[in-house]
Order: sequence, then C-alpha cells, then structure tokens
Amino acid sequence: MATDKRRLFGCLLAAGLGLVLGDATAADVVAIVHAQAWTMTGADGGRIDDATIVIRDGRYESVARGAAPPPDARVIDAAGRTVTPGLMNADTQLGLVEVSSVPETRDSGLNGGPLGAAFDVQYGLNANSMLLPIALDDGLTRAVTRPTATADPVFLGMGAVLRIQPGGDILDRPRAAMYAGIGGIGIGQQGGSRSAQWQLLRNAFAEAKTFNPSRPVPAPRDQLQNVMNIAALRAMLDAHMPLAVRATRESDIRQAVALAADYRLRLIVIGGSEAWRCADLLAANKVAVVLDPEADIPWTFDDLGARADSAALLAKAGVTIAFTVSGNTIQLSHNAGSAVREGAGLAVANGLPYADALMALTVNPARMFGIADHYGSMAKGQDADLVVWDGDPLEPTSAPKTVFVRGVQASRTTRQTLLRDRYAPSHAHDPLPPAYRP
Amino acid sequence: MTLPWLRDPWPSTYAPLPRQDTLIVGATVLDGAGHRFDHANLLMRDGKVVAVSTAPIAVPAGTTTIDAKGRWVTPGIIDVHSHDGAFAAPFTSLDLQASDVSETSEPMTPNVWVEHSITVQDPSFARALAGGVTTLQILPGSNNLIGGRSVVLKNVPATTVQAMKFPGAPYGVKMACGENPKYAFGEKGKFPSSRMGNVAGVREEFLEAQEYRGKWLDYLSGERKKMPDDELKEDTLAGVLDGSIRVHWHCYRADDMATLFDFAREEGFRIAAFHHAVEAYKIPQLFVANHTCAVVWSDWWGYKMEALDGIRENAAFVDAAGACVAMHSDSPWLGQHLALEAGKAAAAGRRAGLSISPEHAIQWVTLNPARVLGLEARIGSLEPGKNADVVLWSGDPFSVYTRADQVFIDGAMVYDRSNPAHQPRSDFELGQPSMTDRPGVSGNGH
Repeated sequence: MATDKRRLFGCLLAAGLGLVLGDATAADVVAIVHAQAWTMTGADGGRIDDATIVIRDGRYESVARGAAPPPDARVIDAAGRTVTPGLMNADTQLGLVEVSSVPETRDSGLNGGPLGAAFDVQYGLNANSMLLPIALDDGLTRAVTRPTATADPVFLGMGAVLRIQPGGDILDRPRAAMYAGIGGIGIGQQGGSRSAQWQLLRNAFAEAKTFNPSRPVPAPRDQLQNVMNIAALRAMLDAHMPLAVRATRESDIRQAVALAADYRLRLIVIGGSEAWRCADLLAANKVAVVLDPEADIPWTFDDLGARADSAALLAKAGVTIAFTVSGNTIQLSHNAGSAVREGAGLAVANGLPYADALMALTVNPARMFGIADHYGSMAKGQDADLVVWDGDPLEPTSAPKTVFVRGVQASRTTRQTLLRDRYAPSHAHDPLPPAYRP
Repeated sequence: MTLPWLRDPWPSTYAPLPRQDTLIVGATVLDGAGHRFDHANLLMRDGKVVAVSTAPIAVPAGTTTIDAKGRWVTPGIIDVHSHDGAFAAPFTSLDLQASDVSETSEPMTPNVWVEHSITVQDPSFARALAGGVTTLQILPGSNNLIGGRSVVLKNVPATTVQAMKFPGAPYGVKMACGENPKYAFGEKGKFPSSRMGNVAGVREEFLEAQEYRGKWLDYLSGERKKMPDDELKEDTLAGVLDGSIRVHWHCYRADDMATLFDFAREEGFRIAAFHHAVEAYKIPQLFVANHTCAVVWSDWWGYKMEALDGIRENAAFVDAAGACVAMHSDSPWLGQHLALEAGKAAAAGRRAGLSISPEHAIQWVTLNPARVLGLEARIGSLEPGKNADVVLWSGDPFSVYTRADQVFIDGAMVYDRSNPAHQPRSDFELGQPSMTDRPGVSGNGH
C-alpha cells in the first residue's frame, strides 16, 4: 500500500539521514521513568505503574515496571505522572479549516462541481495551519480530518488521517474512509427525503460493483455516478476502505448496517446520537461509532434519543467507540485536542469505564481508520507518540507537560502561547507597546 | 406617571416551588463571596440563606438535614448569555429560515423583547438545571446592532415565560459590534456593511433616544405641555441612558471594545458587560476603569476573524488586573458545564503563574454574573439573607467527573439527580419513542 511504502521510506530516512532532515531527535533514545503508563495494549488499558518507557529511533522499544533506562538514553522523570500515547480525535477538519468563517481558508467541502465520492481531502491539507501546533500542545498527535459536503446528495468524499507533527509531513493515511451523510436539517437541499438518500447510496454501490475499471469511459448513459466518482467507489470497495456514515437517527443507523452487510462494507457511524438504541446490532455487526459525548440534547428531530450516557451504553454492549466534540462546530478543529479529552471525561462521568475512554482516544480510532499497525499503543515498534500529563488526562483542567510525536519532542510554542506571553500581566507596566515583545 | 420605558407590561408571576427548610451538613462550601469553608453547614429557611458555618447550626424540628460529607456546595450557577428557549430544541430547518432568536429584518430592533420568543418547553432548560444553573439571562442574537431586550429567568419549569421571570430583575439590551451585524446586513446590500457603519448606526440611534428621553423628562418637569408619543424603539435606549436597562454588548476585539467604551462615555451610560470579549486580555485596564465585566468562554477561538486571538488565559488575565470576569455559555451544551468552564479558565491562569483559588474562581459563575445582571444583592453568593439558590455537588465543582446532586432555587429543591420525580422533563420529551428505554438498556431515558 502506498502509505506503507511512504512510511518505510520515511523510516529509512529517519534512521540514515536524520540529521539532514533536521529531526535528529527521532534517532535519539529516550527513557521516561517513573511513569504511570497507560500502554493501551490490553482491554483494560494496560496500565503499568512505575514504568520505564523506552523510545528508540522514533518508536516504542519497551515498557516495563521499574526497569533501568538504557545507558544511552536521555532520561525524563515522569515522577508518577500519567503517561499515555498521543491522543487521536476521530472526527475533525484539522488541516482543512483555518478560520471557519473565511471560505478561502476552508477546504473541507464543496458546494458544486462534479466531485462526490471522489472528493479526496488529502490534496488540500495545510501543514502550516496554526491550529496544528495548538492541537499538538494539547496532546493530540493524530486526527481524522474529513470532508463536510459535496454536490452529491449523499457522498461527502474521502477523509484522511493526520499525524500532527512539525515539519510538513502530516498525511498519515489518505483515503482512510469514504463519508456519506444522511438526514439532518439539510435534507431539504438533498432531495427532500432520506429514502431517496438511501436509494441513491445503494445505487451508487450497485453501480460501483459492476463498474469496469479497465474500461472506465464512457459510463452507461443512465448511470448516475460520473466516472470519477464511480472509479473512487470501486477503488473503495476493492481496498476495503470503511464507509463512514454521518447519521444520528436510529432508522438511519439501522439502514446503514443493512447496507454495509449487503456490500460487505466496514461501517463506522459518525454522530450516532441514537446508536445506543441498536447497540447490540452494532456490536454483532462490528460497527464502530464515533460519538460526541457532549451531545445530550434532542437538538433536531434526528437526535431525539441523544443522551449523556450513550458512550457507556455502547461500550457495555461491546461496540467500539471513538470520540469527537463539535461544540457548535467550534471545538471540532480549533480545540480538537482539548475538547475531545473533555468529552471523554464527560463520558466517564456518565458511566464509561476510565480505560475504555482512553482507548476511545487512542487504539479504537487507530483501528477504525486503519493506522493501528503503527499508532495507538505503546507496543514495541509502534510510533512513539506520547504525552506526559500534569494530572488526569481526562480532566480538562489538566494539560500535557511533555509531548512526543514519532519520537520527536514537540515544541510547546503556539500562536496562543505567544499571545499569552506577550500580554501576561507582568508586562502591564512595560513602556513599549506589546508589538515590541516576542 | 411611569415613564414608558419603565413600564412592566409582562410582569413576573414567578412563585417559588414548594420548599422545605434545609440544613446541609459537612460540605466544602465555596460561598461565592470569596470564602471557602471546609466541613461546613448551610441552613436555608423560608427560601433564604440563614447561615454558613463550620460550627454546628441549631435548627428547629422539621428541618430537613442532608449529609453532604465529601461533597461541595456553591451558589446556584448564573449563565448571563443563554439563548435557551429562543434558539430552542428541536432546532428545525424552519428555524434556518426564520429563527426566534433574532429579528433579522433590520439592524436596529431595540423594540423587540426576547421574552416574546421563548419556548418554555425547550428541553435545554432542564439540562442546564442538571448542570447547576439556577438563573439565566436570555439574550436576542447578535445579527443586529441593537438586538432587543433580554430577560432574566429563574430556571424553574413553567408553562409561561412570566412564571420564569426573575421578579424585579433589571432588563438588559443586547447589542452587537464587529462582524456579525456587518455581514448579516452588508451581505444583503443593507446598512451596515462595515465596522464604521456599525458605530455610526448606533450613534444615530442614541442621538434620537437622547432627544426622545429629553422630551419625556421635559414633559415630567412641566416644561413641555404635550405628552410625547411613545416610541418602542426609543424606550429601550432611553432606559439605557437613565441606567435602568443594562447594556450587554457582543464584542470580540480590543479595538472594537475600546471604541465602544468611548462611545458609552459620550452618551453617558455604562456598559454592564462585553460578551465574548475574546481580546479583553489586551485591555484589562479599560474594563477596570469603565466598571464593565468581561463575559467570556474558557477557550473558544478561531472560528471567525475577530476570534482569532483568543487565548485560554483571557479570564485569568482580566481578573488579575482587578476587573470583573464572568463565564458564559452561548450554547445549550456548554451551558451544562459552566462550573467546568471556570475551572478550565482558572487552570490556564495558574499554569501562566497566577494564583487563583477555587473560592475565587467560583465567583466567575456566581457573584460576578450576578453583578452583570444587577442582582448581586439577591443572588450569587451564600451570604445570610440572600436567595437560597444552592447547588450540592457530588465533589469538586471544577472536576469533569462531578455532577450536581441537588439544586435549590429560593430554597426549593428543583432537581435531584437520585430521584427522577425531581427531574423536570419538558412536554416535548413526552411520548417520544426514541427517548424511551429499550429492553436491556438501563437508564432513565434522558
């Protein structure tokens, strides 16, 4: 797979040419000692107290209780603090949105043109987004970034997984999922009935199945999907790319399960306010759910069953969950790191076991979106994304003390910390205006 | 005679719910007035706070006693920026065309009163209550330069808005600066289409209000014989000019706010609060000098140009300068977690080197918002004689894991987490199959 080749190439570079690339620290050996490590290697979160965590060449080498650090390691004393893998937000628009209200800084959606299923967000990613250092500063090292709309009545396009690291190379996995959106208050602009949406979605997969990629043009005259979109759907089927359906109403979630069964699709439900109502069905069909734990209001007619303990109910039924927090869409990207932790904390406050919440911020989304081979736990060989927390990571009053991405210690400087330092109360009586401060 | 802007055409019909004198024993009390009492007792009688004390409080027979060891007590949380009821759930596509939260037909609507838009059956009220919110100010939206009158509600379930209205609470007026008005109207080719247009529009309106108020005052003093015509738009602004109606100004940027501080001085009124005030930290001394509160979020930023410079230390930095700070929600989701908002803002301040105690930070969601509303003599702290608006928390109110166990308004228990019979549920939520439990799913259904 293209991603794996890219990763392999990246590793060779890091190992052999690290100095040239400027990420020499990735080749360092680092040992974090006296950590309360949540390794995410077991169903219980794999907690190891007084752990020594060894990172070598950007990857986890070992985690062992009370072990002596390797002699060549740079040692960081966690002093009993909680250490987790870097966290992952399962639904953001990071790298695609800079200022939400400014159209030219927003590459997450289309309002016209021929692209539907073929819309692929990977080409619009902005590695220099000022949001990325802030997310990283909050301990977020991976994120799904996803499309929001196309002119197609159902397809939103393909999302990607980001690794939030400095230096420009943020695309971890392109085409991580195909997104479709069903229902919602925008349904009037999409034909007027969710029945039509389901019929069109089913038809698209039917067309994709019979599509011949070796003779793509012309498509049959009455085929609804154009050649770009049908080729994307066929490639999706061939690659077993998951279908991520944004839906909240129970009937739509059940329709999605039936569709996924008919076409042998790996299904992820995004939103899922009423997913708890068919939790057993989802568990039996291995359907994963990305939830917003703050969404406990019957905000639309599609969310009447929204409740604060959705995460707990789904996890209890054996459904794999991951988190996002919308916060009126404001928290989706601009506080993608801090808000998703707070959401996980709220889920715990409403009955979700603590370890399950941490898994929903790490290994679970890694598995859902196809990056579990290199991210999500502290297992040997995994990318060394790691956060030393100054308190309980699920308390929004806590913050990271130290963040590593792929073995590289992250800078803690962001646009927000610079503003903070420039306007700190200690400067109140400076003779020169703030513009002369760093 | 009563000046037209002082009339009360829709008077409050609020009456406290049935109540019981209550003694809470052994709690950690943050009293909202800046004090912390450990292992303390709180007595509520006849709807008022009688005492908070670490010494035993003798109570007459018939007083209900609640063992609160290990739990925390604060004043009721006050949200001074809510749209609950006006921007109500369920939100529908019809609201996209014509929402009740803003009268969008023109930029100047000081004549509208948001209490006439309120759906009392909005399920968000009860969710805010479960988050400890006992008092809400409902504001019109921010499309308009002058959006209309606010209303202050007690968060009790009711079938009319009058029955929720806080008796005697001063009215406020919602105003907006910056991007929202200029885009809401400028994009339609209407006035205003610029920041300078925003300011000019408001100045013009106040000039007229000055003249209008002058006519009425002349009429009262006998200098003018003919009774002036009653102008609904001018009434609200005349109330601002005489201090009886409080100004709540939606504004983000430091330079915008500084302009409006000068404008208010020119016109001779005080701005009660700048709401959102994302850049308040750049001009904290102006908030001190103008006796204006900065009403803020803990961390919202970046979703529009004027929110670009938001930092998490905003509240703490403004507070450190000695200005009044309050947290607000502007959102029915955030409005369930306002204590946590204060906790997050305080934590950011501590990380930046400031010393902020829990008993201080709780003021950002209790006494300070009470000051914003002009109700600091009645609510916002647990000082003797004040309304017994009280939250008994399962633990530290600044922890994400803490829930409101019980909530009291005027001494009446209005929410009890352990007793579904004391959990209000809106009419809208009745008979909705999606809200009922399914076999094998435990929980209370909402």
